[in-house]
Amino acid sequence: MTAPAVPLQAKDYKSDLKPIWCPGCGDFGVLQGLYRALAAIGRPPHEVAFISGIGCSSRIPGYTTAYGFNSVHGRSLPIAQGVKLANPELLVVVAGGDGDGFSIGGGHVAHAVRRNINITYIVMDNQVYGLTKGQLSPTSPKGLQTVTSPLGSLEEPVNPLLFLLAYGAGFVAQASPADMPGMSALIEEAIRYPGFSFVNIQSPCVTFGEDDQQLKVHKAKMKTLASLGHDPADQLRAMDLARAYGTELYTGVFYRNPNPPLPYEELIKLRIAEESKKARPRNRILDAYLQK
Amino acid sequence: MTTQKQTQGIDFATISMRDALDLAVLIEEEARDRYEELAAQLILHRTPGAAAFFTKMMRVEEVHRKQLFEQRTRNFGNQPSGVSREMIYDVEAPDYDEVRMNMTPRTALEVALRSEVKAHAFFVNALKHVASAEVKKLFEHLCEEEVEHQNLVKAELAKLEPDEPGSGDDFGDDPVAQ
Repeated sequence: MTAPAVPLQAKDYKSDLKPIWCPGCGDFGVLQGLYRALAAIGRPPHEVAFISGIGCSSRIPGYTTAYGFNSVHGRSLPIAQGVKLANPELLVVVAGGDGDGFSIGGGHVAHAVRRNINITYIVMDNQVYGLTKGQLSPTSPKGLQTVTSPLGSLEEPVNPLLFLLAYGAGFVAQASPADMPGMSALIEEAIRYPGFSFVNIQSPCVTFGEDDQQLKVHKAKMKTLASLGHDPADQLRAMDLARAYGTELYTGVFYRNPNPPLPYEELIKLRIAEESKKARPRNRILDAYLQK
Repeated sequence: MTTQKQTQGIDFATISMRDALDLAVLIEEEARDRYEELAAQLILHRTPGAAAFFTKMMRVEEVHRKQLFEQRTRNFGNQPSGVSREMIYDVEAPDYDEVRMNMTPRTALEVALRSEVKAHAFFVNALKHVASAEVKKLFEHLCEEEVEHQNLVKAELAKLEPDEPGSGDDFGDDPVAQ
């Protein structure tokens, strides 16, 4: 890890590639929040890797100067874990949408949580498949009419917050680009958490999203968990508050493990050190052969 | 957003003239960059009228930034600054969700007007906390400028015919494969 000679600025993480999201998309704000969070953390771009799957929000790696891998649909988490294990010094951020994370990639979330590798997973939750023109996604509200549910969805949505909390994630938060300072601070806090961390960002789709999910509505609707007096160390209360997903818009840290366990990559280092002590010195291995 | 939310780590009660000028420069810079981004988005999504207006706004903000920067350089040379771009959030820059594909030039002007109103409100709120006489004078001047800009945008708006029903966003096709 190298300390930069001059403090890094948000613009240092911005690539020359211009985002092609629809004008008004919530992802523009999320991208700005990411730049700011990274500048606050101060790791230079070459020490950061963005891994994504497929979807509008999964374009994020291309819009940063960090290392990036716009990978396979739903497989961002396994790839990100591999990247982190191969080079534990890298700061690894996973970015994707609700479809990528909770439908196609849903099976990977539980294992990323229980493995607890120190990566940050940011889901830009817009409750619809935007890139493929507006199909029902796993977080679409019940009753939503889309091209794949013309009479309205009959399914209950996945609750990403409860999903992560139920599997025991050590850091679970929710944000909206309607509050840029709050969102940037939450992303920064998630990255600083020493283990697997998750931020669900309500990032509206302006083209296929519902009117009541747009940022103007967020501004009027959002309530910070701090204003409710929530203690982020209280896991059960966090689960209780998370149940309001889809009706209320709570932002802030739902749960932060006050005693984070060592992340997986640290446990591996310890295991290697332990096993190395038990191993025979190289010359004694040869002796063992010769004695036979 | 309140003044407090639009800036982080800036104490208006103790802000120096140098940092106040730097803050004003950064606010114009942020607005310039945002208009440039919005214009690029709209060009990409075939909304040339609104894009042209945002490009014009980008140039206007750059002129303001330059003027303030020259004042800063005249008075304080290259002394290090106590404020940075990371401390401000959309003070005069339009919010990202203000724009839409196929928006009309009229709606683009309305976006700019709301941004000028937002910037004016920012300086009015900040003035409540400012103690230094010279910073107060600067912020009052900036307040007046924001009102002047609002009047210019209003005058431009008055020249435009009202949008026809069904124009703009309602009329556009959904985006094709990205």
